[in-house]
Amino acid sequence: MGIAQKLADNQKQVAISEFFEKNKHFLGFDSLARSLITAVKESVDNSLDACEEARMLPTLRIQINKINADKDIIEMKTTDNGPGIPQQSVEKVFGQLLFGSRFHAIRQSRGQQGIGITGVVMYSQLTTGRPTHVRSKIATEATASVVDIGLDTRKNKATKSNAAREIWEDENGQLVEHGLEITCRMEAKYQKGRQSVWQYLRMTSIVNPHADITFIDPEGEVHHWPRVTERLPRIVESIKPHPQGIHLGQLQRMCNESEDSRMTVFLRGSFSGVSSRSAKELCEASEIGENTKPKGLKPEQIRSLLDAMQGEKTIAGKAVKLLNPPTNCLSPIEEMLIKKGLSKTIDSRFITTMTRIPTVANGNPYQVEVGLIFGGSMAADKHVEVLRFANRVPLMYQQGGCLLTKAIEAVNWRQYGLEQAGGKGLPKGPAAILVHLASTNVQFTSEAKEALADNAEVMEEARKAIMEMGRGLKKHLMKRKKMAKTQEKFELINDILPAIAEKSAQILDRPIPDLAGSITKIMSAVISETQTTWNKETKMTDVSVVLFNYTSRARSYTILCTWPEKFGATLDNNEMGGRKEATGVWAWKLATLEPGKRITISYSLGGLEKGDWTETDVFYRGSQEVIGATKMDEKFLDEIRRQEKALKKAGMDIIETRDNESLLDFESDDDESFDIEPTEVVSNSFEQPTVEAPEGQQTLFGGGN
Amino acid sequence: MVKRHSPEETKVAMHGVVAEMYDKMVKGDPPSMTLPVRTKNNIGFDPKLGVYKYGKKRSIRDATSLGSAKQLLRTLHVVEFIEQMIDAGKSSTLREMYYISESWGMGKFGTQNDSNNLAEDLEIVTKCLREDFKLRPEEDGARMIGNLTLRERNRRGEWMVINARDDVGDSGYGLPYNVEEEKIELLEHDIDFIMAIETGGMFDRLVENGFDENYRCGLLHLKGQPARSTRRIMKRMSEEWDVPIIVFLDGDPWSFRIFASIAYGAIKTAHISEYLATPSASYLGITSDDIVAYELPSDELSNKDIEALNAELTDPRFADTWWQDQINMMLELGVKAEQQSLAKYGLDFVTDTYLPEKLKDLGLA
Repeated sequence: MGIAQKLADNQKQVAISEFFEKNKHFLGFDSLARSLITAVKESVDNSLDACEEARMLPTLRIQINKINADKDIIEMKTTDNGPGIPQQSVEKVFGQLLFGSRFHAIRQSRGQQGIGITGVVMYSQLTTGRPTHVRSKIATEATASVVDIGLDTRKNKATKSNAAREIWEDENGQLVEHGLEITCRMEAKYQKGRQSVWQYLRMTSIVNPHADITFIDPEGEVHHWPRVTERLPRIVESIKPHPQGIHLGQLQRMCNESEDSRMTVFLRGSFSGVSSRSAKELCEASEIGENTKPKGLKPEQIRSLLDAMQGEKTIAGKAVKLLNPPTNCLSPIEEMLIKKGLSKTIDSRFITTMTRIPTVANGNPYQVEVGLIFGGSMAADKHVEVLRFANRVPLMYQQGGCLLTKAIEAVNWRQYGLEQAGGKGLPKGPAAILVHLASTNVQFTSEAKEALADNAEVMEEARKAIMEMGRGLKKHLMKRKKMAKTQEKFELINDILPAIAEKSAQILDRPIPDLAGSITKIMSAVISETQTTWNKETKMTDVSVVLFNYTSRARSYTILCTWPEKFGATLDNNEMGGRKEATGVWAWKLATLEPGKRITISYSLGGLEKGDWTETDVFYRGSQEVIGATKMDEKFLDEIRRQEKALKKAGMDIIETRDNESLLDFESDDDESFDIEPTEVVSNSFEQPTVEAPEGQQTLFGGGN
Repeated sequence: MVKRHSPEETKVAMHGVVAEMYDKMVKGDPPSMTLPVRTKNNIGFDPKLGVYKYGKKRSIRDATSLGSAKQLLRTLHVVEFIEQMIDAGKSSTLREMYYISESWGMGKFGTQNDSNNLAEDLEIVTKCLREDFKLRPEEDGARMIGNLTLRERNRRGEWMVINARDDVGDSGYGLPYNVEEEKIELLEHDIDFIMAIETGGMFDRLVENGFDENYRCGLLHLKGQPARSTRRIMKRMSEEWDVPIIVFLDGDPWSFRIFASIAYGAIKTAHISEYLATPSASYLGITSDDIVAYELPSDELSNKDIEALNAELTDPRFADTWWQDQINMMLELGVKAEQQSLAKYGLDFVTDTYLPEKLKDLGLA
């Protein structure tokens, strides 16, 4: 080999190492500890994405072994139960940088961040000189294919060696149907704490409640985060560009490439958010004939079309009203699942969640979701734990510089019952706050992709969501305080007062006095006690409401309870009967309650899982205040009924809307039904009623709190 | 007037408290107990007694809240416990009662402070004394040195005559917790005044320098906030021997309070002020003036100090101009000084210069 050739080869070798060296901060390999997290993250993201696309429930197993503690050599082995990769594609997936089509699609995906599993292969090769061992099995083949994938740093492509086929059995000796296993060795360091593989997997498990994750740390300890729902995240669709987010060049190209014969067809067919009416209006505003052929548009016409699209050209001073882009390209985790994800990882007393309606900034759909978990075993004197996510991927570094953190800091937490030095900054208290941004275009502060960049609109959305959650927390704390007070009163009359009576009678050697009069004077109220508990045996959620009349007069009431009707729950064992008052609200008209008497309403909720429904809101109709219940605001009920009607009219089923098939229909649908804008319909299913919920009410739509 | 009660009288008085609760329940009301308000807002000067006593404000502790109801239940347990002790001829310390309450179930005390306060509550409503209840304090009595002679009845019931100069060591004569006549008789003395001293260090300094002999006085170590027995013995010496009580403390807001409890009566024990307080006692120092005049090394006032001084400004016991000036001056200076800061000028400065000068002001040297 000539010297020139050698130099060139060396140079190439230098180039790929240099590429890594220069870019390791944004590739996520800038420190030994972070390299390991990145490797796990790339592998886990890969598995989750693959399972999601194949509509399979993921079961992941991650094992970290210290091979040589002195030299910081670590072996990572990750296994999934996904579809596997066909033998001929393994090389491509693992060897080629930036492989994968989703990089350019307009939809939400995990893979937007990082360079994928190739980076791990490259890092292993560069630090240990070893190839990555891949075992893959697809369902249609009898055996698994195994292969070692390395990187030819000279040719900058994958190398294959030791390819073979073998029988793959799991640890129980069962044949594995399909799945993927990656084993690689790298220079890395295993750490514990806030920035660790453990924390990454824990956070991943929170936002992927449908995944079953097992982690075996280098000390052999097994950490298991079980699957808490069988429901897969919905399929995310690619969307057409939205007029508000388009650039001139892109519009020109689209016009030039269009085969459509009429502008209106082109506008409706090539963009999202354009109805037939708005297509006509766009033509009117840009002074282009509806029947013009898009291909023949002159540059100045395209310019004015763009102006019309972005609201700069108007009709009688009004910008053309566009529909929001469909949000089925987003995959929110959704309130009930955030709740489950949080409660399986963190022991607590109270959870509130909030999924905002999808919104659009500059033609990019985005959606903010928040969750707050409070109490339990969390430390009360420390800052709250912040759990940040972008498109279901945990963000673990640069917390302070992240938009999501700033949104939390911008809220005055004191008014919601958490400590906050100076009324700003991160609050303190036994709580964890989750913030998730789902978007087709997540803007980061830097290539490291660990902190979201400032954006006034997103910030405002997040702040609103967080404040809504704060209000939930405050209500909970107030309710708890009230309950504690009621509890105290019960202790007083049930335990302390009888003891006083007995002891004083004994000292004075007189008979024990009757306490009925004293009790009425002490309580002088009607009190309700509500319990919502999971019954392990019947797999039902048992609810009981007890009403005590501690006043001197007979009372009569109607009691109303919230229940998760919308989530498909059934109301069983309801011996008191009653009737449906509105969706998710059941009512019982009670017989007259005599002084000193009590009455109990009890029923069971079926069709729910543990933790789905943990708090029932109780309302009353009646003149005397009931401690432990809220006076029913009839306007509130009217609002629920009004929305029910509106939904019926629109022919929409609420549960289906959540799966979002109906929105797709909307896109292709052509006529009158467009009079209802999709955002409006979506809001009917997600949003709180416009009437302020009465005190103590969480949400009749969101499933408790 | 404070008087001792026989065991039978004590029981009757306690039954009165129990009967108030019982009768309320029979009438269909929450049980209750009526107490004077025990804050500075409810103490006033009693011109007949020359001390500060509780005023007319009453608070009713009734069973409408859990806390109060528990307090009532505790009261009943305490009454029962005292009756048992009276019948068995025993006594216990307040701390022992606190531990005994462990077996009282829902009526057990939360903290030792609870049990102390409750004992005082009972004293107030029954007009009995802690001693009638057979309850002893935990606190240490004072120690005295000087040419004064008294008689103490020892454990074997024998009277011993003790001279607090000739019959004691350098630590002086230690006062028992009970300083009533059945235990201690004041016989005779050859002193011109008694000097009550806040800190042990200063007491020992004066003893070492022979101040008691040179200035014909008795020295008494208060040990911080003086115990009831310490205040009681000062009161007795002042009355029975007619000797002036001179109080020498640190110069800080807490010392002002110590003096107030000696001379005017403490807020917590205002129900028995005439039994414990010595209205003729004089405050010698350290005053705010002294801090300036003697250029004493000083410490900055803490927030708590400032709070305490401000509270004293509205305390009726400090309502006279001299005290108002001293308190305001300390607030303005922003500093406090310890007794022992006088050592800045040498070990003998306090006995050779400071005390003679101050005593001269008081007309005693």
